[in-house]
Amino acid sequence: MQPPSSDVLRGTLDLLILKTLTLEPMHGWGIGQRIQQLSRGVLDANQGSLYPAFQRLEQKGWIDSEWRTTENNRRAKYYRLTTAGRRAVGTEAASWRRYVEAVEFILQTT
Amino acid sequence: MSAIKGLAARMRALLFRRATEQALDDEIRFHLEQEATKNEALGMSPDAARRQALVQFGGLAQAREAHHDVYAARPVEDAVADARYTLRTMRRTPALAIAAVLTLALGVGANTAIFSAVNAVVVRPLPYPNPQQLYMVWEENPEKGWYKEVAAPANMLDWREQVDAFADVMGYTDMFGTSTLTKAGEPVVVKPALTTGNFFSVLGARPALGRTFTDAETWRTDQAVTVLSHRLWRDRFGSDRNVIGRTIELDGNPVQIVGVMPDGFAYPSERIDLWRPWGWLPVSREQTSFRRAHFLSVVARLKPGVPETVANAQLQAVAARLERDYPATNVRMGAGMTPLHEFLVGDTRLPLLILLGAVGLLLLIACANVGNLMLVKAAGREREAALRLALGAGRSRLVRQALTESLVMSLAGGAAGVALGWWGTRVLQALQPPGMLRVSTFEFDWMVLAYVLVITTVSGLLFGIAPALWSSRRSPQDALKEGGRGGESRRMRRWGERLVVAEVALALVLSIGAGLLVRSLLQLQHVDPGFDPNGVLAARISLPDGRYDTDEKTTAFFARLTERMRGIPGVEGVAGVSPLSLTGTGYTSDFTVAGWPAGTYGSEVTHRRVTPGYFQVMRTPLIRGRDFTASDRPDGPQVVIINEAFARKHFQGQDPIGQRIAFDRVPDSTSTWNTIIGVVGSEHQSKLSLAPEIEVFEPTTQSATGGLSLVIRTPGNPASLGPAVRRVVADLDPALALESVRTMNDVRAASLARERFLTTLLLVFAGVGLALAIVGVYGVMAQMARRRVREMGIRLALGAQANDVRWLVVRNGLRLVVSGLAIGIVAAFLTTRTMQALLFGVAPTDPLTFVAVPVVLIVTAVVATWVPATFASRADPASALRSE
Repeated sequence: MQPPSSDVLRGTLDLLILKTLTLEPMHGWGIGQRIQQLSRGVLDANQGSLYPAFQRLEQKGWIDSEWRTTENNRRAKYYRLTTAGRRAVGTEAASWRRYVEAVEFILQTT
Repeated sequence: MSAIKGLAARMRALLFRRATEQALDDEIRFHLEQEATKNEALGMSPDAARRQALVQFGGLAQAREAHHDVYAARPVEDAVADARYTLRTMRRTPALAIAAVLTLALGVGANTAIFSAVNAVVVRPLPYPNPQQLYMVWEENPEKGWYKEVAAPANMLDWREQVDAFADVMGYTDMFGTSTLTKAGEPVVVKPALTTGNFFSVLGARPALGRTFTDAETWRTDQAVTVLSHRLWRDRFGSDRNVIGRTIELDGNPVQIVGVMPDGFAYPSERIDLWRPWGWLPVSREQTSFRRAHFLSVVARLKPGVPETVANAQLQAVAARLERDYPATNVRMGAGMTPLHEFLVGDTRLPLLILLGAVGLLLLIACANVGNLMLVKAAGREREAALRLALGAGRSRLVRQALTESLVMSLAGGAAGVALGWWGTRVLQALQPPGMLRVSTFEFDWMVLAYVLVITTVSGLLFGIAPALWSSRRSPQDALKEGGRGGESRRMRRWGERLVVAEVALALVLSIGAGLLVRSLLQLQHVDPGFDPNGVLAARISLPDGRYDTDEKTTAFFARLTERMRGIPGVEGVAGVSPLSLTGTGYTSDFTVAGWPAGTYGSEVTHRRVTPGYFQVMRTPLIRGRDFTASDRPDGPQVVIINEAFARKHFQGQDPIGQRIAFDRVPDSTSTWNTIIGVVGSEHQSKLSLAPEIEVFEPTTQSATGGLSLVIRTPGNPASLGPAVRRVVADLDPALALESVRTMNDVRAASLARERFLTTLLLVFAGVGLALAIVGVYGVMAQMARRRVREMGIRLALGAQANDVRWLVVRNGLRLVVSGLAIGIVAAFLTTRTMQALLFGVAPTDPLTFVAVPVVLIVTAVVATWVPATFASRADPASALRSE
């Protein structure tokens, strides 16, 4: 199946990252993997675009980051939801659903 | 909270750019390794796994760039780039940059200097603990016309004991003249403040060495003590720490030094050299004079947390009770309180605020000028701006750049202005009339710097607005069309003209303010002081009462002194007076005249003592009767002379000569009756701006005093008599010091020092403002002349005379100036009334000033436009046409 065009993906990337982080803090590669797995390979995001998104979310104060050691004893930057981020997941998800419903509605009526 | 975190992340990224990028690289490397490991696990070769990982990632450079865009906060980076660009263009056109920076520096510098004075005097709290608890407590008496007057000691003591809201109350004066300090090097005249024992403790001031006074020292103790100011300790005692316990002599009396105050303690003023406790006799508390003589400045400290209203209500109750209990002295004697700081700021607030307003106007004028420069500069870059617009630059981006440019410019100007202002505060400190600003030094503190930063930024925005708005409203097509000729648009020209109109208006307001003060000062200088100040030297001498302990000794000394001084070659006459004219009134009293209906009395007659011959030396006209003579002896009939103001007010239609007067409200058997033997012209006692008070003179031959100002008349230059006068005094008594040796003309000038100071400053500011405005007019007209040189060439080619062309330019300039003047006159008309209290003999809307100042402005403007007009009139028709 053809993945959706990247523009739509970019708009939702932030939401997907936030959603992924609600499970546990994770490093960048792990987040990318998780998104791919959970979407059963449909959302195969351009991995390079994850990093600007992290920066964006950090500036909004929704996530913060720290350097930690992985189980394989490698240093990696872990991202974690802040309280504000946790709140944002709810509102962002709601507005995403409204958006999807609207698009769906239009697709059905035309 | 999250906003703060986000901001912190952004700041971190900006400040540690390299570290941020390094971290990103680490992160990406980790990502790629993870991905490669995964790929290898899926069976790829290591090389293929890595390549596949890179492909998946989708371009390292793009990721880095996108990441950078997010964190780098575009506006900040743009601003930095704009600022760099500005600095580059400033280097390219240094003349323009220097002109703008200097103009701003003038405006900011003047503001810095004046504001630092305002800050030190008005804004900064008093340097004592909990200064908001300190109040000046004063007396008022509607009958005597008293308001905020000094209090009688017995009243002060009653307030202290009976007003519950007061934690403590102290009283002091620095009005009791000076003392001669001996036994500490050469005799020197020092200025003491006399205080109650709790003076320092009420203020919360601690000594640097030794102790301050005890409460008991308000009253007479066995040991006379003093506390030295830091300055006196340094200058006369070489900062000797062993000075405590040492005995010095003040006016011939032994006094022990018990303490030294720290540097910076200067209450009530910086002129005070030392403090002494009153040492009143306990019996005086019950004497009427203790309630009748008003000489104490009283400061109360409120108990913590007690509001002023409560304290004041209690004070009113006590004052009302005193009025009932002591009708002889306290009838209609009210009391009130004012925050100490407010009281001390008093009448320096208005002049300072006027000055602050004036430098504010000056800064606006400077901004208008710089705004014009920026417009000219923007015109030079018109093509560039148009190109950028055409190529798709955002308008807001252009506005931002224009504003950044002006902010960089204003910050440079502000920095130069602070330097100039620092120098300006030194000038202010040096030029201020003694005591006018209460504090003699005003340092830059964070308030001053914050103020400078604010006005600098605001000016940057102000003069940046015109070019910014102009650049944003351009249409690229027009700009490119006009830009091809390197000209300027009509809209831009209009902005420039508006700025000139504004600055002419501002300069006019400033100049009219200065003009009014000049007129007022001229009026004051023409006030007849009531005596002839030319050719008179004055010098104050105080006899130490330790050695001159009887009236006979003082009188004999002054007789001998005047005798010897008359022997100085060139001396025409010598006399003594206390206090000297134009230096303040002495004490005042009630009085009654024999023959007046019982119960009638007059109030507030001022008293002075003079030696025989005083009026002759001062050339104060003797209108009726006779002068005092040496034969008016203490045991003879008591005689007085009154001034004309007194005669006119109280002896209308009667002959005052021979009338008898007593200085009591209700005369009794102890009253002294004085016979009026003469009427003299009225001298101004304290200020030329105040009408002479009603006054009575007593002869020193009958009421001796140890402190007199000598007045010495000579047909020559009075200042040259100084050394000879000092020699005579040293001959008679080497332990005596002369003070305030100066000519009467200097005394008269000193009495106007405040007015002159204010007028000079305002005149300087107005001059600078006027100059800037004229430069602005010149600049705009020069631009116009250059721009229209071709048109002028055509006119000349078509037969216009050079004069016609010149007149055309001048007329254009005048159009701007006249609009500015019209606005300025209205503005001045509305604002000058704030100066009312500073004016003497001139209305705030003085027609002469309102006509003369605009005329001056028009004349200078015509002169300023003459140069560009001449330039235009010389346009060569041929070359003007060719240049197309």
